[in-house]
Amino acid sequence: MKKTMISFSANNDLEHGRQVFRPAQAAAIDNDAVDMKVLNAFEELQPDDGSDLIVELIDLYLLAAAQRVTQIREASIATEWVLLTRVAHNLRGSSANLGVRKVAEICQKLEWMDRHDSPQTVAVQVGLLEYESARAGAALAAVRQGRLV
Amino acid sequence: MENLRPKLKQETPRRVLVADDDPVMRHLVTTSLKQQDYEVVLASDGREAYRILQTDSQFRAAILDMTMPFLEGVDLVRYMRSEKRLMRIPVMIISAERDLKLMASTFSAGAVAFLAKPFTPDQLQSAIRMLLGSGSSIRRAA
Repeated sequence: MKKTMISFSANNDLEHGRQVFRPAQAAAIDNDAVDMKVLNAFEELQPDDGSDLIVELIDLYLLAAAQRVTQIREASIATEWVLLTRVAHNLRGSSANLGVRKVAEICQKLEWMDRHDSPQTVAVQVGLLEYESARAGAALAAVRQGRLV
Repeated sequence: MENLRPKLKQETPRRVLVADDDPVMRHLVTTSLKQQDYEVVLASDGREAYRILQTDSQFRAAILDMTMPFLEGVDLVRYMRSEKRLMRIPVMIISAERDLKLMASTFSAGAVAFLAKPFTPDQLQSAIRMLLGSGSSIRRAA
């Protein structure tokens, strides 16, 4: 799988208490956001009714992941650790299952965090989650578009 | 004996309860079950699954996520094992945790299968086949 390096810089702004990361090369979408081998494995579950299971899974994932990333951000701002870890756990499960590995890895780190971690440490991970989630979203949207053509 | 077979087949419900708060997981499990000609009854959290089980016991099996809002999968297993009308239903727990203690606790609660996330389509289908196959032995034991 082709990997394109994306460098990103963390600026020092805190937006609603979270670190903001901006891709240095916004136009380039790297291919390691989603493990296509994992996603394509679901071809074998394709139903015979003409629907596309992978497109359906992508649609469900994109909708749910966007909601969960927002919930995680809000929970981190409100320092609601129980909610944060529960939502991160949920997002980790579906991300790992569809090959969205970076998001799954960050969710795992967030699950291990607790009230002893500094708000800044949590904010950095939440910022990374938003960044990786956006990358994965773009990659999945491209896959979806490619399957519909 | 030959005459009994169609009747026994009719009496076995081809319905499976699936409870998961993750829509991606619900869709994956549902797709796999429908391919094996099972009807799926969906619940999006533990409380909804509990409410369904209070009035409906006609399930060939139940597939429950471990971590759900309101009621966890293992709590539902304990409830099912405490109710005579639900005891015969084999249960599989799905979890993103691979912790051995957690697996042991689900089995001691009464689950017959455990599927760890992430799983491949093959692993999902094998686990479902094993779960649905285990129903007959549980029914005989009950």
